[in-house]
Amino acid sequence: MKKLFTLAIVMTMLFSVVPAFGLELQSGADMYPIKTDKTITWYAESNISPHEKFTNYTESPFHTGLSEVTGIPVEWSFPPAGTQSNVFTNTLLADPTNLPDIMWGAFMNDASLYLEDEMIWDLTPYLEEYAPAYYAFLKSNEAYDRAMKNDAGQYYGFGFFREDGGWNDTYLGPVIRTDWLKEAGLEIPKTISEFETVIRAFNEKHGAKLSFANNRVNTTGLSGAFGAFGQESLQYFVKDGKVGLAQAQPEWRAYVAWLNKLWNDGLLDQDFLALDDTSIKGKIHNDMTGISITSMGQLNNWNKERVAESKDGVWVGIPYPTGDDGTLSMVFGGAGIGTSVAMITKSADEDTMKVALQLLNYAYTKEGFNYWNFGKEGVSWEMGADGQPQLTALVTDDKDTDPLVKYGGATWSGPCIQATRLLYMKNSDVAIDANDTWFYPNEAVSAYWKWPVGANFTVEESDELKIVGTSLGTFVPESFGRFVTGASDINSDAAWEEYLKTLDSYDLQRVLEIRQACYDRYLAR
Amino acid sequence: MAQQTIGSGRKGFAGRLLRDFRLNKWKYLMILPVLVYLAVFAYKPMYGLQIAFKNYRPTRGIAGSPWVGFLWFEKFFTDPYFWRLLRNTFTLSALDILFGFPAPIILALLLNELRNNKFKRTVQTITYMPYFISLVVMASLLKIYSQENGLFSQIIELFGGTRQNLTISASAFRPLYIGSGIWQYIGWNSIIYLAALAAIDQEQYEAARIDGANRFRQLLHITLPGILPTIMILFVLRMGSILNVGYEKVLLMYTPSTYEVADVFSTYTYRMGLENQQYSLSTAVGLFNTVVNIAFLLLTNYFSKKTTESGLF
Repeated sequence: MKKLFTLAIVMTMLFSVVPAFGLELQSGADMYPIKTDKTITWYAESNISPHEKFTNYTESPFHTGLSEVTGIPVEWSFPPAGTQSNVFTNTLLADPTNLPDIMWGAFMNDASLYLEDEMIWDLTPYLEEYAPAYYAFLKSNEAYDRAMKNDAGQYYGFGFFREDGGWNDTYLGPVIRTDWLKEAGLEIPKTISEFETVIRAFNEKHGAKLSFANNRVNTTGLSGAFGAFGQESLQYFVKDGKVGLAQAQPEWRAYVAWLNKLWNDGLLDQDFLALDDTSIKGKIHNDMTGISITSMGQLNNWNKERVAESKDGVWVGIPYPTGDDGTLSMVFGGAGIGTSVAMITKSADEDTMKVALQLLNYAYTKEGFNYWNFGKEGVSWEMGADGQPQLTALVTDDKDTDPLVKYGGATWSGPCIQATRLLYMKNSDVAIDANDTWFYPNEAVSAYWKWPVGANFTVEESDELKIVGTSLGTFVPESFGRFVTGASDINSDAAWEEYLKTLDSYDLQRVLEIRQACYDRYLAR
Repeated sequence: MAQQTIGSGRKGFAGRLLRDFRLNKWKYLMILPVLVYLAVFAYKPMYGLQIAFKNYRPTRGIAGSPWVGFLWFEKFFTDPYFWRLLRNTFTLSALDILFGFPAPIILALLLNELRNNKFKRTVQTITYMPYFISLVVMASLLKIYSQENGLFSQIIELFGGTRQNLTISASAFRPLYIGSGIWQYIGWNSIIYLAALAAIDQEQYEAARIDGANRFRQLLHITLPGILPTIMILFVLRMGSILNVGYEKVLLMYTPSTYEVADVFSTYTYRMGLENQQYSLSTAVGLFNTVVNIAFLLLTNYFSKKTTESGLF
């Protein structure tokens, strides 16, 4: 037990990246603006396109401003409106000889393949000289450094990092109607039994049931209270250095048995498997549920819509319940590193590549950090008395949605570091309180279990994964539904054995072996 | 006959084409846009079919990806879900043909018997209307009606059943799918039969009446044979898409709990190809789909020609 505990601590230290205090960035004051006659072409798949009010990037202060402050002319391109962005990216990739110089998108898993196909530049020999601030930033945190190179130690791109680590990655959690709770004379539930007591109390009093939009629970739900790591969707996790499938664990069985019991007792909404963020509102606003799981944004919407109907905003976030013995194996979350990356393609010649490096490097300098988050000093923000950027009236009086997107590029994600302050600016107070409740007490278990975003499969592995284990993604969600609704009996050992046997016959063991090898290489970087 | 063949054979195909072209050059010009359309949108993409036999990666391009033979077909045919997919696809399609195909014919025949024109037009308009509702809207309506306390559940309860969510119930999926399909398309699909009915010679009915045939006899011996060629052609065409169960509708309607009866080839291809980026595998499945469809088309056409002497070719 002690050994396990030590291991858990070590793993936590390895993977929880919380540089909240002391983000120290190099200054780029004597580097920028640089002089160049090169124009960089930059394709961005998502998140850093111009604000919806602008017809193209030449009207967008953020995009034109970036060229001004760095001294590097940039020709931006984005997926056309209305197309599926990743499909559009794939059409660009179909002609690998004629790509934009910089490509920003969800390429991390394929980085090794791209390097092998010589589609992108191996940045290793150039990074320290031409992107010194980024290089220093990576070297300041082992987890960042590890995520941004492949198994051979080659750097391939510029990632997205959150200043505050995993806070915003835990954006889901349990929520409750405070008025009902008060009326029932109950405390905020801390354990899963207390949680169930609340469900029963709400059911007796109001006929309400536990309900949620399935897309908000199909990842992990409340499985952590049972020592499990997932709910419906295929979920690989890492514990004590070993890769496992959440849905093959006895803990998962206990969790599903609990859901099945609620289902049989008429306490779990029969519709939840088919509900989404829109259809759940029918339940929320018709007093059909008083306890649920949702996101920061939806929580805020529920309250806002109640207020619009002249009711009180009664929904608040409550802590993730633990097992009755205090178990909490995990909560939904991540390490604060995005899955997208900006890479420099071989369509850029060596000199162009060096300019592109300097362009990307800017975001990781002291000045660039502020520019990417808040825009230009003196325009969209000014330094406040507390030494922190304060938004000017230009932004605060702007009635458009997400006005800061006009001036900064870090609101959603981008090749940059997202300021914690920015996250607090863009979320409502009730959402921030809820997320504080979901995240801070559970910080240690929010990310350690995650399959690392920067892990790369080798060419052989990715080819084999196209052949083995492909039925698991269909079988597991299907079985989850059958077990919860009672079509298969989760409490029957024979049914469980049969389920495990089927997982094995779908090559689960081979998939785990491949993932284990990939994970071990990742650790060994 | 033989002489004719020899005669034109001497000139060769090119010669005959040239002569025909001189005679009918405006007709050839008219057919040109269609040929261009087919070449660009039907034949050119066939170049990409080869990725069904390759290990395709976008970065390597179609030409640069290595050949792997029948690997993807093998993978697909040995997939644990292959038989289930095949069964579901055929069942859904067969049920749709069994119930969905005759429905508009019956509606058209009934409408044809109506003598009150105003009533007839009203019925026609009302039955078309669902056709213009988008699938997405229709599927979400269905989902709302199928909830535990939704319209359908209340009706079921009224007749002594128990309330349940129908969208996650495997036994309710097929009736919902077929029923909503009939509701949506019955009016629209009856138009072509109504047009065929209008073309039947009225004198035949007069003659039949003189011979003492009642309304039902007239329907059986004049109306039905009159629209039989139309029915057969549409039937052959429908059989040619037996494996094309529209993935949009299934995708919008199914949940993992109903995969058992709802998962079909096209939704499987969608999950594999677009969500898991298995381009080669999904191309192989698509190719298999097409081959089976063509086989059914040819087979139905053959039998149709044998029995009713009307067919596509």
